[in-house]
Amino acid sequence: MSASRSLVLSPDAGGRIAQRVPLRAAFAAVFALAGLILAGQGAYVHAKAILAQILLERAFATSLATGAPTKAWAWADTWPVARIEVPRIGASEIALAGASGEALAFGPGHLDGTPEAGEPGVAIYAAHRDTHFAFLKEVRVGDEIRVLRRDGRAARFRVEETRVAAWNASGLDPHAAGRRLALVTCWPFDAVTRGPLRYVVEASAIEESGGASPR
Amino acid sequence: MDISLPPLRLSDFTLPSPMARARRVVARIAIAATLGIAGLGGLIVATVAANASEARSAQAFVKPADMTSGALLLKGAEPGKFVEAPQVRADYDVTVSGPTMRTRVTQAFTNPTDGWVEGVYVYPLPEKGAVDAMTLVIGDRVIVADVKKREEAKEIYEAAKRDGKTAALTEQERPNLFTNSVANIGPGETVLVRIEYQAPVHQDAERMSLRIPLVVAPRYVPKPLVTEVSMDAVGGWGVVDPAPDRGRITPPVNDPRETAPTNPVSITVRLNAGFRLGEVASSTHKIKVDGTDEAARTVTLDAADVPADRDFELAWTAASGPTPSVGLFRESVGGSDYVVAYVTPPTGAAKEEKRPRETIFVIDNSGSMSGPSMGQAKASLAFALDRLTPADRFDVIRFDDTMERLFLDTVAATPENVAKAKAFVARLSAEGGTEMLPPLKAALFDPRPNDAARVRQIVFLTDGAIGDEQRMFDAIASGRGRSRLFMVGIGSAPNSFLMTRAAELGRGTFTHIGSTEEVDARMRELFAKLESPVITSLTAAFSEGAADMTPRTLPDIYRGEPLVMAARMAKVSGALEIGGLIGDQPWTVKLDLAKAAPGDGISKLWARRKIDDAEVSRTLRETGPEAADAEILKLALEHKLTTRLTSLVAVDQTPRRPAGATLTRAEVPLNLPAGWDFDAVFGKRPGSEQGPTVPGMRRADAQSKLERVAAMGVAASPAPLATPSPSAGANLPQTATDAELKLCAGLALILLAVGLLIIRPARRRAA
Repeated sequence: MSASRSLVLSPDAGGRIAQRVPLRAAFAAVFALAGLILAGQGAYVHAKAILAQILLERAFATSLATGAPTKAWAWADTWPVARIEVPRIGASEIALAGASGEALAFGPGHLDGTPEAGEPGVAIYAAHRDTHFAFLKEVRVGDEIRVLRRDGRAARFRVEETRVAAWNASGLDPHAAGRRLALVTCWPFDAVTRGPLRYVVEASAIEESGGASPR
Repeated sequence: MDISLPPLRLSDFTLPSPMARARRVVARIAIAATLGIAGLGGLIVATVAANASEARSAQAFVKPADMTSGALLLKGAEPGKFVEAPQVRADYDVTVSGPTMRTRVTQAFTNPTDGWVEGVYVYPLPEKGAVDAMTLVIGDRVIVADVKKREEAKEIYEAAKRDGKTAALTEQERPNLFTNSVANIGPGETVLVRIEYQAPVHQDAERMSLRIPLVVAPRYVPKPLVTEVSMDAVGGWGVVDPAPDRGRITPPVNDPRETAPTNPVSITVRLNAGFRLGEVASSTHKIKVDGTDEAARTVTLDAADVPADRDFELAWTAASGPTPSVGLFRESVGGSDYVVAYVTPPTGAAKEEKRPRETIFVIDNSGSMSGPSMGQAKASLAFALDRLTPADRFDVIRFDDTMERLFLDTVAATPENVAKAKAFVARLSAEGGTEMLPPLKAALFDPRPNDAARVRQIVFLTDGAIGDEQRMFDAIASGRGRSRLFMVGIGSAPNSFLMTRAAELGRGTFTHIGSTEEVDARMRELFAKLESPVITSLTAAFSEGAADMTPRTLPDIYRGEPLVMAARMAKVSGALEIGGLIGDQPWTVKLDLAKAAPGDGISKLWARRKIDDAEVSRTLRETGPEAADAEILKLALEHKLTTRLTSLVAVDQTPRRPAGATLTRAEVPLNLPAGWDFDAVFGKRPGSEQGPTVPGMRRADAQSKLERVAAMGVAASPAPLATPSPSAGANLPQTATDAELKLCAGLALILLAVGLLIIRPARRRAA
């Protein structure tokens, strides 16, 4: 956006104020540019989150077919490990290995050091509240969560509790007894700044013949 | 058990190098923490619960200022008054049987209060120690602990605690950190706690050594006490507030740098080295060595009692010999015989024994290696290239998400080729993803599998971000042939366990380089090792009967490393034949099993090693997690090992605590191991020019400080202190983005711009 263009936009401006229009236009241009960049960055986060899931879905399908970890794009530092679904609200996300900032930009991350969903212990998945785990606010106690793992095994869980906890006092022991699942995201959902609180959805396995079963 | 998570970057944008940097930082913290656990060597966190309202015994009260030696203080009923926590003396009885040491620690603790007390001790163990026995003597009661499933043990303990019965529980917090809980210690009673653990002896080159964590006493009693410690009534961890009544609590409390600690410790080491002993010495304490037997000594402290102000270290060396020194120990437990054999390569001869090598260097130049890691890896590789001789063959493979092989096959290490390789390495820059499998396969491919003239080695330098471990393992297992795989984790090794397994499968070693500063020294050690493969192609065979042997794959024996193998058999008889190649000379040794020396804890060593094997097969997915856990549980229960899945519990069946009396717990803080720089660890209190106060009393503070120390790479451990409480649970990552904020701000700015362009001219026109 240039000064001359802003003159065109203001055809009524007389010669007297012609000097001041470019200044104002310059300010406007700077604001507009900064605004576009910021908005673009914000939109980029969402675009990346959505696009990545499409690529990850494909990689995960390959992974299931071959049984080997498959990266969604060549330079990725992580790979799909599971698909998390909440059938009641139609949510489905591909989770990645590790919960680094890198992974979380693209999908829910499976926390290192926690078991795979369906194994003994508490499998913990984390994702951003405004993208992949925005649906957590709709999850209710009693909902079913399905996790399809990379190795083709599926595990089903029933939501037992939702709660808010500080990030460093989650009360989640990955080695606790039972086969459990915890989905966590930042809380409150509509806040625009980062905070120490996390929203935790806890679920326990719906016992079938010995936990995780082949698909 | 808590796990810690990498801190997340503030930015969600996906440039590889900041990511890599973040990961390295995280890894450095993790490594510092790991080192710290080992370095923590003597920290015993005693948490003693005293019912404050009942602790009224006037004579037991002290003020911190009254203390002339280190002691734990419990909060008394009146503000500012404390009772001295149980701490008396400790006796260490160590029996070294060849490659293992069995330590019996007897600590006598006194409950000086007239209330009922629950004590909780957290103590670290050397390396791969396994607590397998705990005995509690309270008054005239002797309680021998029993091994149970972890949850079951906890339930038994809690039930006994409720019923007023004296009970004790030993749990594994981490593989090298254990907790003892003792419920219902009576008023004024002296309690003896005896812990027994089995641990391997450390071997470094020709030097064997053991280290005993010696922390019963506080090591640091701060200098001027200017703040008041207020203990939290429930959690027990106090906070230190700037003292409102400075005058009442009088300084000083002694600094260990000024007043010798007085907590006495006695140590006896029965050294049965299994080989002809050279020197026996301690770098930490004055010792008295008795015994004239060529392989056995009894070591005691020169002074009867020494202050427990630093860890005890004892080192011994073998008298040098031309043939490998082979040790053989046996133990009979529960109808089975257990044998441990170990092979120490001959020293001296190895140098001349230098077989030409065929070495393939694989260097990771992916984006995550950027920064100092890449530089150090390149420097290390250049160093290695310099040490090649024209008789050797070599090649260099670099990889990121692509790979490039310098020569298509290994070539003679002529000066021209080496120069070419050096130039190739110097040009590398760190970028791209990490595709580790193709270079691994390329390196494993051996066009001359029958070339016995050369030792084939693969040196794999990477930051350790192995994603597809299973394919890596498959490739190694199916393709290793005669190659040996040496994993070198540089900068960051989040997957160090898997790197270890990869090296084990590849019959090489895993060199873990925690900080970039270490790279050079560690690489030098590694290459020194690579240049002298002492014994290769090892085999072990028992002449009679089937033996359940571990490890399943015998590694090569390198300079400074012993082969330790254990087996269980129905009856020790016949011979064990161990064979291999020293250089290109076949070498065998036949051991008459009947001549095996009796040794303590051989069965534990075998079981411990079998548990490791079970973990391996779990990793290799030869067995599922459940089958592996079942195997571990079976071994642990059979051999009474405290593991991830099992605990030791002892209950005195007689209820003792009267129904009316209450039992509460208040954790009592602990103290720093000697050698820790108090100021560096805890720092000066802000707003207090007189420096720090009782260290452990400030748990939260200590924690954050320790984490900072760890982050700086100092060998300090946040481990025992950074566990806020068992219920705090896993840390959760940051899961908010600034997308909304940016969108809103961006839209606001655009609106402002539009406003500037439209609204103001409009107003002007109207005017």
